[in-house]
Amino acid sequence: MTNNLARDAGEADTHNVEREGDPIGSDQGTVQNKLRAAGEPGLPRRPTLRPRRVSRAVLDASDAALARVLLAPTFLLLLLIVVYPVCRLLWTSLLDLRLAAGMPARFVGIDNYLSLGTDPEFWTALTNTLLITLITVPAALLAGLALALIANLPFRIQWPVRLSLLIPWAMPLAFVGMIGGWFFQSDYGVVNDLLRHVRPTRIIWFNSGWLSFIAICLTITWKTCSFVALVLLAGLQTIPNELYEAASVDGAGPLRRFFFVTLPLLRPAIAVAVIFRMITSLQTFDIPLTMTRGGPGTSTVTLAMYIHQNTVDFLDLGYGAALAVVLFFISMGVTTLYLRQVRSES
Amino acid sequence: MKPIAPASLRRLAAFAVIVNGLFPLFWIFLTSLKTEAELTRVPITWPPHAPTLANYLRAFSDQPLALYLFNSLVVALMSTALTLFIATLAAYALARLNIGYRDLALGAIIAVSTFPLVTLLVPLFQTMRTLGLLNSYGALVLPYTVLSLPVCTLVLISFFQTIPLDLENAAMIDGCSRVGALFRIVVPLSAPGVFTAGLLAFVNSWDEFLLALSFNSATRWRTLPVGIMLYQGEFAFPWPEISAALVVGIVPVAVLIVLFQQRVISGLTAGGVKG
Repeated sequence: MTNNLARDAGEADTHNVEREGDPIGSDQGTVQNKLRAAGEPGLPRRPTLRPRRVSRAVLDASDAALARVLLAPTFLLLLLIVVYPVCRLLWTSLLDLRLAAGMPARFVGIDNYLSLGTDPEFWTALTNTLLITLITVPAALLAGLALALIANLPFRIQWPVRLSLLIPWAMPLAFVGMIGGWFFQSDYGVVNDLLRHVRPTRIIWFNSGWLSFIAICLTITWKTCSFVALVLLAGLQTIPNELYEAASVDGAGPLRRFFFVTLPLLRPAIAVAVIFRMITSLQTFDIPLTMTRGGPGTSTVTLAMYIHQNTVDFLDLGYGAALAVVLFFISMGVTTLYLRQVRSES
Repeated sequence: MKPIAPASLRRLAAFAVIVNGLFPLFWIFLTSLKTEAELTRVPITWPPHAPTLANYLRAFSDQPLALYLFNSLVVALMSTALTLFIATLAAYALARLNIGYRDLALGAIIAVSTFPLVTLLVPLFQTMRTLGLLNSYGALVLPYTVLSLPVCTLVLISFFQTIPLDLENAAMIDGCSRVGALFRIVVPLSAPGVFTAGLLAFVNSWDEFLLALSFNSATRWRTLPVGIMLYQGEFAFPWPEISAALVVGIVPVAVLIVLFQQRVISGLTAGGVKG
């Protein structure tokens, strides 16, 4: 250890001497280069540098070492809270681990996965999760696009519109679910009160599976479209005004400008918004749980709710883990799409 | 270029956006001011006939709402501080240092931003149970830090890149170490970025529900969303109290948003965002 340190310092020293011999060294990141970058070529180098020569040289030579130190907490945390748990999840999914039964863990191979096939509630949860994704992601995209286009109009006072996008985004999903439950309440809910003017029947939303499902999808769409709008608004603001002017000069009306200028240039932002929405909607938990608790029956249970139920309520960790692995791989598929998108952008 | 639509139509559209965004909150606020008797009247009333703050008093006295607020605040502040510290170090390395595996490291961090938190539920539940950490602040702080770390790192990288390299070099010539330059020059100069990242981390923690419900379900450790959700008994739904509690729970975040909306928007833009 001591030896190594001595050798490192020695090397750094020789290195430095070499550089002093060749002040216009082409090495990136040498002291001289930094000084030149700082726009001080005429600075008397030696006197300033001499007293701290060794430590400066070590610091410079050890960019890589410093980077390791700075990145260590991040990767330690990711190892501890992401990598290790995922490995443990995969292992647990191969066990019969029912804490409530008080039996020791037993290796059962892929039995948990095989049980998925014959578990109707799993299929309900999977179908619901995929349906929520297929319905609410496009719905939130369309609504969010409309909101973003309006928010991008040149209003003299911008903040009320911005605030109206930020507040729903910042509201906890669980709060939104509870508010949704109150909105769709059959007797005192404001939705039925408004519908009364259109069609004078009292809809009991939460007694029917598919009406509950519609109420949940509407609530999720409302909650998430503001997030989509914020992402798209950021995208809209990067589109230079000259393009619209040029299109106008060429005789393009608002519709043509939208389809031939706005939409193509907004594509990257749309992709980011859609992929993030897909990933989070595959994990839908808060809103259905707080609105319907999965009911009536199991008609609005999602995968995340079923995982939570098996793990926390039934303490059937093996089965919960197998369910989580399924969700993990579906989600990884979408993430792969995302990374491809990021790469193609840069 | 001709305006896209007449001013009146544009104003109408803006009004629609405002109603869409704020009506649910406004409605829950109106609800919180009504008495139980008024809430169970058909047809429902819109503005409260006799506005009262009694629901707020009861929300605090019938349930330990103040404790829930405190728990949420402690967990959110702890995880925000931890996230900012870790993300600052990582962002500096990725923004400034010449390292070969930069793209790989950045890719790993971006990949984590899309990581489904639900899959952590089972293994973390096992770990927290073994370590006796169920029902403690610790059970939530570390996972929440991971939740916000990617966004915060990306936001900080984009802010660090705007600080001129010259300033840092000047500090180092004056005898500051590289890490010293980070904390004395780069961090103070990117204070808006650090603040923005902190806001996003705070909102993330404040809003999280799944892990809070799974790990900290004992009354003493409930965060706001969990606490308020468990107000609901099996059959009785004390809506007046719940709506008052919801308003109380939204106010801290709403105040942050109102005060710093430009920061939040720029942070969302820089961070690639997570909703």
